[in-house]
Amino acid sequence: MSGIYIHVPFCAQKCTYCDFASYPKEINKAESYFACLYRELEGRAKATKDKVFDTVYIGGGTPSVVDSKFIVGAVRQVKKQFNLAPNAEITIELNPGTVDEKKIKDYKSVGINRFSIGLQTGFNEELKRLNRIHTAKDFLLTCNLLKGENISADILIGLWDQKLDDVKKSIDLALAGGVSHISVYALTPETGTPIYTDYLNGELLSDDEVRDIYDGVVEYLKEKGLFRYEVSNFAKLGFESKHNQNYWRRGEYVGAGVSASGFLDGRRYTNSYSIDEYMNAVIYNKMPEISSDEIVGDDAEFEFIMLGLRTREGISVKEFNDNFKVDFTEKYKETLKKKDKFLNFDGDRLTIKDEYLYVQNDIIMDFLR
Amino acid sequence: MSIDKSKIRNFCIVAHIDHGKSTLADRLMEKTGQVSERDMEEQLLDSMDLEKERGITIKLTPVRMFYKAKDGNEYIFNLIDTPGHVDFTYEVSRSLKACEGAILIVDATQGVQAQTLANAYLAIDNDLEIMPVINKIDLLSAMPDEVAMEVEDILGIEATDAPRISAKCGTNVEEVLEKVIDKIPAPQGDENAPLKALIFDSYYDNFKGVICFVRIVDGSVKVGTKIKTFMSSKQFEVTEVGVFSPKMTAKDSLSAGEVGYIAASIKSIEDTAVGDTITEVDNPANKPLPGYKKALPMVFSGVFPLDGSKYNDLKDALLKLKLNDAALSIEPDNSVALGFGFRCGFLGLLHMDVIQERIEREFDLQIITTAPSVSYRVYKTDGTVLNVENPTHLPPTTEIDYMEEPVINASIFTPPDYVGPIMELCQYKRGVYKDMVYLDKTRVQMKYTLPLNEIIYDFFDSLKSRTKGYASFDYDMAGYQKSDLVKLDMLLNGDVCDALSIIVHKDKAYERGRQIAEKLKDVIPRQMFEIPIQAAIGGKIIARETVKAFRKDVLAKCYGGDVTRKKKLLEKQKEGKKKMRQIGSVEIPSEAFISILKTDSDN
Repeated sequence: MSGIYIHVPFCAQKCTYCDFASYPKEINKAESYFACLYRELEGRAKATKDKVFDTVYIGGGTPSVVDSKFIVGAVRQVKKQFNLAPNAEITIELNPGTVDEKKIKDYKSVGINRFSIGLQTGFNEELKRLNRIHTAKDFLLTCNLLKGENISADILIGLWDQKLDDVKKSIDLALAGGVSHISVYALTPETGTPIYTDYLNGELLSDDEVRDIYDGVVEYLKEKGLFRYEVSNFAKLGFESKHNQNYWRRGEYVGAGVSASGFLDGRRYTNSYSIDEYMNAVIYNKMPEISSDEIVGDDAEFEFIMLGLRTREGISVKEFNDNFKVDFTEKYKETLKKKDKFLNFDGDRLTIKDEYLYVQNDIIMDFLR
Repeated sequence: MSIDKSKIRNFCIVAHIDHGKSTLADRLMEKTGQVSERDMEEQLLDSMDLEKERGITIKLTPVRMFYKAKDGNEYIFNLIDTPGHVDFTYEVSRSLKACEGAILIVDATQGVQAQTLANAYLAIDNDLEIMPVINKIDLLSAMPDEVAMEVEDILGIEATDAPRISAKCGTNVEEVLEKVIDKIPAPQGDENAPLKALIFDSYYDNFKGVICFVRIVDGSVKVGTKIKTFMSSKQFEVTEVGVFSPKMTAKDSLSAGEVGYIAASIKSIEDTAVGDTITEVDNPANKPLPGYKKALPMVFSGVFPLDGSKYNDLKDALLKLKLNDAALSIEPDNSVALGFGFRCGFLGLLHMDVIQERIEREFDLQIITTAPSVSYRVYKTDGTVLNVENPTHLPPTTEIDYMEEPVINASIFTPPDYVGPIMELCQYKRGVYKDMVYLDKTRVQMKYTLPLNEIIYDFFDSLKSRTKGYASFDYDMAGYQKSDLVKLDMLLNGDVCDALSIIVHKDKAYERGRQIAEKLKDVIPRQMFEIPIQAAIGGKIIARETVKAFRKDVLAKCYGGDVTRKKKLLEKQKEGKKKMRQIGSVEIPSEAFISILKTDSDN
């Protein structure tokens, strides 16, 4: 399986926890940015003629904040330049308050068939504190526009004095909106973001509190028929995100746009985080990449393990051995023995036991060579 | 060419810590043109980084200066800087033996302090001419006349004409130089007699071999002289002699009365013990100079490499340090928890600290040290007596008749306001009150007998905090006393961790057990499972704490753009774990072993 990721680095305004490549003040550059993006896609496509792509993901930033014609153009360009499978999963990230009927219609017209909505929380005070532009009601309005579609919602845990019941209410709101997929992220206070101050002041929840909420959420979502298939992702059966699963299986993907990363033919690359630098490179027919690494040997193996063990399906030892021409159980014998208590191994699939999925760093670290 | 001995002055500077020893030494060098003011790095003689940072002198550093005196003659001054801390009394006595006189610096604002007294007595014992100097007269609170009176009253040393100086500002430093000529006698000795050179310090140079710092008492030595020492049978040919100015400067010869160094391609550190006498093979002296009393280590601690494979590197490092630090004792040791390492003996806590830091800095080795212990005497039921420096080696209680612990005579100088708090502290530390003398209106000398194992455990810090830093402290050993001692074990996840065991007085065991358990709870990071921490005496659990299992240790998001970054994060996290020791299934940070010492018991 292979995917295509397209980054849209614009937002209405910056959220207090955000450290992504998103530049609200540069939204006036959208027209030229997308022109460059189309050009990059064309360039990237040249090396992928033998590959078939199964998923497209348009993320950000807030892709829905720009005129839908740019998105339409991007999907058309993808279809023109790449071998896209006929039933490909094409996802776009939206934020409530940035879409209307026309935009949705345009998205659907080019085949976008999955919508990931940034809800974060169902409480307006919290949304305000996060500097989100929308309310809980806006979320429902957006869902209304997407009735019958494959919708996902993002929810944050670890906010200030949040309680499990609050998160459950946010989940209820998402379910009422008709979502079949929910991502639940523990807030990670990054240095330099406004919320980092709250973190330093001890105003955010402790790890123990976050874990209590997380455990409650896992259970609650299960009751509602959404099963955990990755550390932070829950879906009704059959509604798992194919695009993201491709990452965790260490599949290949093209990345295009500011800050986007790609992984093709054993090489990982990342584009520039600056819109101007990115555009300049593309215009002058240069690579907009700021890093490029061939991943081989132990590093490649570790990626496979680190990514795979995040998921319910874990890693297949047979697949591992085929991919890397290494005897997994022999090479990682010591680690498997040492971490035996935390792992399930049925002879082929190796997974982390449910109760240890949220403390997995210590386990996967041991596979580092 | 021999040197006119009457124009040589060999002296050292002694003082209580922070009274300005190194500053005066620097000023003297500056005034004699040894170093220009511009080139002058603060406190030139403290050459180790560690010494500069801590503002303490650890090593002896000799320096040779030329001084054109007012009488028109040029004199050679050999100044030997000395450490001021009580731990290094032994090193002070070493340098005293190489001198005829000592400048005794007294701070004009603080007056006579514990180590002023201790160092002055040391100098008197060594028959040195003492020349008091009152320093820091530039400070507003300086009382030079009162302090001079005090020196006379307390020490019995004539001080009315003592130079009143400010080493910092350079005030009256000339007067010190002139006084040195007047008051400190020129060296005796016969340059035509057989060679007698006292080794007062040494260090190992990778190119020249062992460099011996010597005072030539009789005779002379030059390149090519065949030498030997009295304690070793080996012979060496001198490859270089020279003086310190302050850098090592080669000379043709050294003769009676001079202070300098000798190199003779001496490869083994054992061949030149500090305190030994060097003589000439062809014309040997018939008996050595009186050597030094062997310095006995008082405080013992396990020193282990953080990375077990560095055992031999640690061994080399310790042996090199021991070369010029006779007081450091080293014995191989091994611990279930920490593997192979060494049991080291130190003069005191500062000495221990300094050695640890030097191993880490100068040899780039990361080490784990265990809580310090003292040497206990164990009288066994079978009539034998055992010295136990390592709690792990304590025999089972059934085999012990009784035990003794070392005690010290402590002398504490303090303003009268703090007499109460100090008494309380000494009582808490199982001290026995001996005497109290009001030296004047501002100072009291208190005398206590205290168990040494209470001193090595936060006594200095407590004394400082209780007296706002005004009290000063000095001690000497006072033998052994019978004591009711028990071994306190710490259990991690149910297993005794031998490196954490300590020997304590029975009355303190519960309290210490509880404190250590609490402390360990704070320093041991949460792990994949719950870790019970228990304190036990002979199998009886007396305290318990729990380190809860961690519950969140995960990369929240990991998508296409995160892979490389997340891998790096994990690599970093794993690197951090390397600073930990795996003991059974528990990972313990290396500082845990020493942190148990730092429990704040009485604040």
